[in-house]
Amino acid sequence: MGLYVKIRLNNKIINIKNFSTGMNINLKELNIEKTHEHFKNGDFTIRELVDEYLKVISEKNKRINAYLEIYKDIDEQINKAEEMFKNGTATVLTGIPFSLKDNILFEGHIASASSKILGNHVANYDAFVVKKLREQGVIFLGRTNMDEFAMGSSTETSAYGITRNPLNEELVPGGSSGGPAASVAGDMALVALGTETCGSVRQPSAFCGLVGLKPTYGGVSRSGVISMGSSLDQVGPMGKSVNDVEIVFNATKGFDEKDSTSIPDDKREIKDKSIKRKIGVPRSFLNGGGLDNEVLKNFEESCDKLKKAGYEIIDIDLPSMKYSLAVYYILMPAEVSSNLARYDGIRYGEKVDGNNLLEVYRKSRGVGFGKETRRRVLLGTYILSHGYYDAYYNTALKVRQIIKDEIFNSFKDIDVFITPAVPFLPFKLGEKMNDPIAMYLCDIFSAPANLADIPSIAIPSGFTSNGLPFSIQFTAPFLREDILFTIGKDFEKLV
Amino acid sequence: MTMKLEDIKKLADLARIDISEEEMTGLAKDFDAILAYVGQVQEVSKLGKNEALHENPSNYFLQNVMREDVATNKAGEFTEKILANAPDTQDGYLKVKQIM
Repeated sequence: MGLYVKIRLNNKIINIKNFSTGMNINLKELNIEKTHEHFKNGDFTIRELVDEYLKVISEKNKRINAYLEIYKDIDEQINKAEEMFKNGTATVLTGIPFSLKDNILFEGHIASASSKILGNHVANYDAFVVKKLREQGVIFLGRTNMDEFAMGSSTETSAYGITRNPLNEELVPGGSSGGPAASVAGDMALVALGTETCGSVRQPSAFCGLVGLKPTYGGVSRSGVISMGSSLDQVGPMGKSVNDVEIVFNATKGFDEKDSTSIPDDKREIKDKSIKRKIGVPRSFLNGGGLDNEVLKNFEESCDKLKKAGYEIIDIDLPSMKYSLAVYYILMPAEVSSNLARYDGIRYGEKVDGNNLLEVYRKSRGVGFGKETRRRVLLGTYILSHGYYDAYYNTALKVRQIIKDEIFNSFKDIDVFITPAVPFLPFKLGEKMNDPIAMYLCDIFSAPANLADIPSIAIPSGFTSNGLPFSIQFTAPFLREDILFTIGKDFEKLV
Repeated sequence: MTMKLEDIKKLADLARIDISEEEMTGLAKDFDAILAYVGQVQEVSKLGKNEALHENPSNYFLQNVMREDVATNKAGEFTEKILANAPDTQDGYLKVKQIM
């Protein structure tokens, strides 16, 4: 057992065990399966690996701010995982160091959705995904920063400070799962759990050079995940390879009676897994997306590589797809305004006192919610108000249906459709904070998959001369994550 | 349409959020831009094609889930834990301002 060192997190000094092991583990080279082999071969222990990650955290986190807190019970988690190796119950995930987004509940630990209004809210139970991963003995190192209530595309709306992109500290890591992305990209965790309502797993994965999966709606339970837009929210893994993401997805999926949108296991079976080797490109949608030239060039190169690998690339025409983001920015705020009604200064977190109950609500919510949250709650209130409900909310529901069915029909000819994950490269900190529309447009290519309830994955597709990551996004039919993994693994070999 | 300060004030009242006048002025401007953007959806609805495709699995997997309306835990089982997160409690209850 080593010495203890102090590290500074969020202006709190905490003690973590020192890393006097003298180990030299190359964290960059690790993936889940390799790490499992190293554990089995005794090349290093779980504790030595965790210490190595904690060492990097103590060096980098003060600047990057990926983690808001390092959990105090890591030792117990390690003991449990080591026990599993001893008694033969270890799986490929046992002892694997994870980071956890701050809106996913882990019993006995703070989960604040990076909002002041939840303050030091302590989770009373495990989220379904946390329970499933704990059964396999993963190590949750700590909770990671995010846009407040997952509302944002740059992790700049957190009440606990911005997160920097480990690939270039002057740039945003993307959002809202910017903390999870930065933790993996900065070698402060091997894999991360994020959540996404519209691009919040895929876009930060793209900006940090990672693979990020948005599963089928109903595929992974949201029980124990702090709600944002309930008709869209999903939990998704973020990692350094398609295989890592696939392993975590398989470990977290499954029916859960506590999420009424969860799909029964017997309805998930795919009888015919053969693929057509045909990939669609929604051309007119791409052209309207404000695409950066460099990003478009990289995308065309990726298409050529896929062609050389034997895939047929077909232009597809989905005329309603371009309305996806507009539909999203109606449905999401409407759902946000009702989901966030529960934060009233009475049941959780911060309370600001007033002369009467109404004042307590108004003051607590005024102080407890950040600016972007206030904006979206008000926008949702407007959209759902008498006189505007039909023009916005009901219309958006109809258009969502049209988009869903248009996409469904297009899959009769293709396995997946592809776009860049994000229309542009990671941008400078602060660049879009005063222009909400510019910030919202980050998610223009993300929205169709969320609206259509279908799985979508962002995969690195090369780097600029300055070392910034490009990313391509594959989107597959309902419940067909298997296609994303098959084609994704093919694509990884081509980059 | 143009949002006025009074419109934003009304929304802040409905949403029970205290917001400064300065921020509300900014919000009125933001809302004009955002509503102009999302208002695009009205172009599509004119197509009139609103029947959901039954063969699309994402249309039929979402169903109402019912269960018997019975308690699934013992009385008081979670009270202490839940109240521990509340800012103001007394004798096992949430404490609020007098409302009558």
